[in-house]
Amino acid sequence: MTNGLEVLAQTVVSGNLLLVYGLGLYVLTRYTKNVREAAAAGITVFTGMLVGSVLLWLCAPIIPGSPVPKVGFYLLVGLVAGLVASGLLKQGYKAVDSAVVGLLLLLGSGGVTGVQNVWMALGAGLGFFLVLVVMASIRRRLELAPIPKPLRGLPIMLITTGLLAIALLGFRF
Amino acid sequence: MKQLWEGVFAKNPVLVLALGLVPAVAITTTAMNGLVLGIVAALVLTAAAIINWVLIPHVPANAKLPVRVLVLILLVVAAYSLLLSQNPGFVASLGIFLPLIAFDDLLLRAGDEDSSFSGAVLKACGQGLGFTLVLLVLGIIREFLGLGSIFGRQIVSGALAPLSLAGSVPGGMVILGLLLALVNLVTKRGGELHD
Repeated sequence: MTNGLEVLAQTVVSGNLLLVYGLGLYVLTRYTKNVREAAAAGITVFTGMLVGSVLLWLCAPIIPGSPVPKVGFYLLVGLVAGLVASGLLKQGYKAVDSAVVGLLLLLGSGGVTGVQNVWMALGAGLGFFLVLVVMASIRRRLELAPIPKPLRGLPIMLITTGLLAIALLGFRF
Repeated sequence: MKQLWEGVFAKNPVLVLALGLVPAVAITTTAMNGLVLGIVAALVLTAAAIINWVLIPHVPANAKLPVRVLVLILLVVAAYSLLLSQNPGFVASLGIFLPLIAFDDLLLRAGDEDSSFSGAVLKACGQGLGFTLVLLVLGIIREFLGLGSIFGRQIVSGALAPLSLAGSVPGGMVILGLLLALVNLVTKRGGELHD
């Protein structure tokens, strides 16, 4: 259990998918206009990650060994996980996303197996959800701040996300 | 030819449409990485645009997204296999971000809303070229700041301490944000998030 909780903490903070790997920037730029929208997108991606990790866990015996079929297999699992999550939640936003597939590819390249997949997906999904909600709150403030015109919009958002990520790098453990 | 140049400048995928941001911040740690991923993405984008232009009109509306992704998965796996056989070093340095382009928001739009075949191909070529150009520029800036070199050739050494943060994803976000601000300043844009 301690190991599971450790993995969970690491994936939420020091291994945050969005801040450390840059995965899911499309969701960040499109679905953080307000906290409600960000939370809904976060839940969808979280569900996609969870479904994907469970599928990987269940499909462990049939994961191909050689690199090319293995990559194809992980991409297909990512597609199925995204479609299942979108179908389960019936929201406008589709969970067919680089964050979901990126997590599965990271799990595959890291040799993560069994229930560890689910722990990592829980942490990654929670971390992704939290960053979206935090960034939606920051974006509200940024809209009211006197920012020079060329920096407004996407530039200041990327710079702010980058600075938040640099701050989190200090929590590597 | 208008569609071709629009993709490179006026409707550049990264700088104007804010698409393909994941590879732009994650993989452009060196100029070579940016160039290789840009070329692979451009080729896959063009091939996907051709296939989608033929295929997608015959697919039911609710199955369009899965079909688009499946087309990209096939093309990306083929590109991955080819690159692995030719230069395994590139595959290793691009890591998960090479297969991940199958789910990139830029490539998922390949062959979208184009009435003519030539229009779809030219648009995809232009966007691929524009995407490669941005990845290359970001790679050059980040490699220079992070390692003091460009395409592996040492430009500065000793005189300036390398800014290792430039080689990280957070550094990539800040550098891309500053590049976008510079483009906005030159083109007198800005003020809205480019949806």
